[in-house]
Parts: sequence; structure tokens; C-alpha cells
Amino acid sequence: MVDFFNVRKFTLDGLSLHIPAGERVGLLGGPGCGKTTLLKLACGLLVPEDGSVQVLGMAPSDWRKDSQPVISAYFTGLPLLDRNDTVRQGFELVRCIYHIPKKKFWEEYRVLSKRLDFTAFEHEAVKELSLGQRVRAELSAVLAVRPRLLLLDEPNAGLDENGKAALCEILSERGRRGLTVVTASSDMVGIAKLCTRFALLKDGKAAFYGSGERLRSQFVPVDEMTIVFGGELPDFGDLPVVRYKIEGNRLTLFYNSNHVTAAEILKRVLTQTEVLEVKVQKPTLESMV
Amino acid sequence: MRDVIHLAGVYTKITAKSWFQYRVDAVLRSLAVFLRESTGVIVIYFTLLKFDDLNGWNTHELLFLYSLLFLTYGIMIIFFTGLRDFGNTVRSGNFDRFILRPRGLLFQLIFANADWFAAVGHGGLGLVLFLVSAGKVGVTWNLETAVYYLVAVAGGVLIQGAVFLFLATLNIYLFETRSLKELLYYNMRKFAGYPISIFHKAVQFIIIYIMPFAFVNYFPAQYLLRKEDMAGYPQAFLYLTPVVGIGMYLLAYLFWRYSVRYYKSSGN
Repeated sequence: MVDFFNVRKFTLDGLSLHIPAGERVGLLGGPGCGKTTLLKLACGLLVPEDGSVQVLGMAPSDWRKDSQPVISAYFTGLPLLDRNDTVRQGFELVRCIYHIPKKKFWEEYRVLSKRLDFTAFEHEAVKELSLGQRVRAELSAVLAVRPRLLLLDEPNAGLDENGKAALCEILSERGRRGLTVVTASSDMVGIAKLCTRFALLKDGKAAFYGSGERLRSQFVPVDEMTIVFGGELPDFGDLPVVRYKIEGNRLTLFYNSNHVTAAEILKRVLTQTEVLEVKVQKPTLESMV
Repeated sequence: MRDVIHLAGVYTKITAKSWFQYRVDAVLRSLAVFLRESTGVIVIYFTLLKFDDLNGWNTHELLFLYSLLFLTYGIMIIFFTGLRDFGNTVRSGNFDRFILRPRGLLFQLIFANADWFAAVGHGGLGLVLFLVSAGKVGVTWNLETAVYYLVAVAGGVLIQGAVFLFLATLNIYLFETRSLKELLYYNMRKFAGYPISIFHKAVQFIIIYIMPFAFVNYFPAQYLLRKEDMAGYPQAFLYLTPVVGIGMYLLAYLFWRYSVRYYKSSGN
């Protein structure tokens, strides 16, 4: 779907990335690492200084001449609805601009406005809306045109928990039906769960690109095991444990799952003491990103 | 094509609706523009109370000259508000939205916004001045003069539209062009309110060849009024308004087409 080849632009320096159709990619990296630049390159707002960016084999800006919306992009700070128009008027314009049949479009609108919960202020001018209300309406505007590639820059900014959950639900449904999503967000609550891949940008390149499972084992391979023991405190001095914590008869071990497995630890402990309860916890993706 | 006209219609309906959503506010603000621009007329009026005429132009003839300036501006601003405010459009991120949409950029800029208050204020003043003066300046209104008048208005609209398009294009290279617009456009327009023959040659040169307001009102008015001071200019200038308008607009359009490729969205 999206191909970056040796792209140089602003902080990006020699970035190569292949995003197959149907994937949902989360972009990670510190501020100023080029996440927004990457998204703007993918929709044609920016042109690479060197290298190439292609969407389905064409330059992103060439897709604009196509009447079928292929790429739809949401950026915070890029107003998608005119501030003087009402929400309804803004959507009517979007419909006309993309030539979408009335019935199909307003059906889509009805569903989205209900799920993202903004039917109550659809007749108010966009400038009168609060940030959260505006974000809901604008996210619906990029979804309503039914693109094949959706680019989202900080879609969570301004959304409350309900909004984040609703957005996630919609995105994973659309994703299952083949929508490709690339999103950058400093607030990955929910979004992390939705991503099939992650790309970590560092020094202008993709320092990591792969599944969440691989991301964890490569960057935060520390698991947590809590053991409630009956007898005396076991000795685990020779095990490669990162750190441990003892509260009464509750022992918590933090260990690198690449170096030692839960089974090995448990076997050692069981030879020394009676175990009443065991809990193993892998770090959640959200806590990681 | 039909689709484009339809979209232009939708845009116009929506912008007009939002501008006139609050009726009292709309009337007052249009009136404010009307009164602000009237001050220039009032100055001329009081000047003419002291002198009988200005280089052969009496009060009504001067008002007629003035009316062309405002009528053309009123029509022009309906279409070119988006270019007048282009700097803001870029800074607020709205231009990026236009780029992302599958429509012509200039089309979106022209139809997505229209300053109806300025249109009603300026156009209204132009119309009032025209109605006051047209019957008293000795023009026989027949098909020929009426057609000439309409073509001249269209040419004047294009000339000013071309200037706005040119200044908007400069915005792609320079961050801020507002003061340039003040200097080149709004200040020169103050000169154009008078018969240009009263000014120094240098000012006349600017107003004919650089910022050709003379073709917006002075030469068209001369065709209809035939004042003596026209002797100082080539007779061909009486007929050049539409040519100047189309030529300038074409040049500005080519400059725009060439420059817009260099437009850079910011990284963040």
C-alpha cells in the first residue's frame, strides 16, 4: 500500500518502509523524530528531497486526481471543516467534493455521528465547538469518505475515554475489512491494541519495524512474576533477575524473558519452598509505548 | 463541468448562509464598510464645494469616476476573498486541506470563501454613487454605452483580481505580504479616486503601467464622459481595459501555476 524508499526530508534520513495493504501501523518515537513528516509525505503534502514515496505504485499527490478517495488524512492543526460552517454543512461539502452519492454518504454519516456521539451539535458552527467535539466531527469526516488508506496524526488528542474507545472500535472494524491505517500518537491508549505493526523512528530511520510481540522482546523484554510462598524465603541469587521486591510472603521478580524463562524460575523456587500462588505478567503494549 | 458548477453553487450557498447567519450583525458590518469607504467620497465632495471643478471634472463626474472603483471591487471580492486572505489561509492550515482534496486549488480558494460584507459595503457604495451620478454626467445610455460599461466593469474586476492573485502567489515565497498589499493596492486606490491628470507624471506612470487602476476607472470613464484632459493620453487606452484585464490575469495565473509547485507545508 505505502512504500518509502530511502526517503530524505527534514529529520528523516534514508528511511525505507513497506506497509502492506490491510496493516495497521503505529508510529513510535520521541518528539521531532519525523512521525508527522512521514504522514505528510504519505499523503503528498510534502515531497521527499531524495528517495521516493509511493502509494499503490503512484506518487500520493497523483491519487488526488482520482475521483475515488484513496487517501484520507487527519492532522491536528489542519482544519478539515471550515470554522464558519455548521458540522452538517461541512459534511455536505465533503460529500460534493468527493462525489459520493447522497444516500450512501448520509447513511455513513448517521452511523459515525452516533458512534462518535456528535449528533447533538451537528447544526452548530464548527468555531463554536469545543476541541473534543471538533475532533469527533473531523475524524468522522476523514472516515466518511471511505478511503483505502487512512493517515492519522494524533487522533487521540482532545478525545475523552469514550471517544478513544469508539474510535478504536471503528478503526479495528474497518481494519478487518481491509482498511490500511498509519497512525502516530503520543497517547497510544487503545491505539496500541489496534496496531498490527509498529515502526520506531530514530535518527531518521526505522530503528524497528515489526509486530508488537517482537517489539516487546527486543525493547522491553522484562516480565514480572509474583510468587506468594508458604515456607521460608527462597534463594535465587544465581538467577539472572533484573530486580526483586519482597513484601511479607509476597515475592515479585522482574526478569528478562530472553535470558531466563518463567518455568526455570518456578522450578528453582519450588525446590526450596512451598508456593501458594503464582502470577506472571508480561508488560502491556500500552505501558511500553 | 456541471458537477463543478454544482459544487461552486454549494460553496456559495454555504458561505452566504454563514456570513448572514446573524442578520443585524450582517447589516451593521456591511454598513460599517460602506461608511468607512464613504469618507473618501465626502472628502471629494467638500473639496469640490471650494473649487468648482478638478481639472475640468465636476462633482457628479468625480462621483461617477469613484463609482467604478467600488463597483468593480465589490464584485471582485465575491470571488477573490480567498486570495486576499491567502496568507491567513496558509497559516491556519486551511490551504493544506485544499491540497488534500481532489479539486483545483484556485477553484477552492475562489469559491470556498467570499467576504460578503465587503462585497455589499463596497458594491453598495459603488451602486449608490452610480445611481446618483449616472443621469447627471451627460452620458446617453444606449446599447453601445451600456455594453461598453459592462465590459469595462468586467475588465476592472479582472485587473484587481489579477493583482490579488499575484500578491497571493508572492506569499508562497515571502512569509508576509500584507504591507505590500497596503502599499501597492489600497494606497494606490486612493489616488485612483481622482482624475489621474492632476498628479505628477511619476504617479500617473505607476497608476497606468504598474498598478493599472487607470484602466479600472479613469479610461472607461473618459470613454463615456470625453473630458479634455484625455488629450494627454493615447486614444487607444479608452478601449484597452478588457485587454489589460485578461492579459494581467493570465500572467498572474501562470505565475501562480508555476509557484504553487514550490509551496511547502510545514513539517509540524
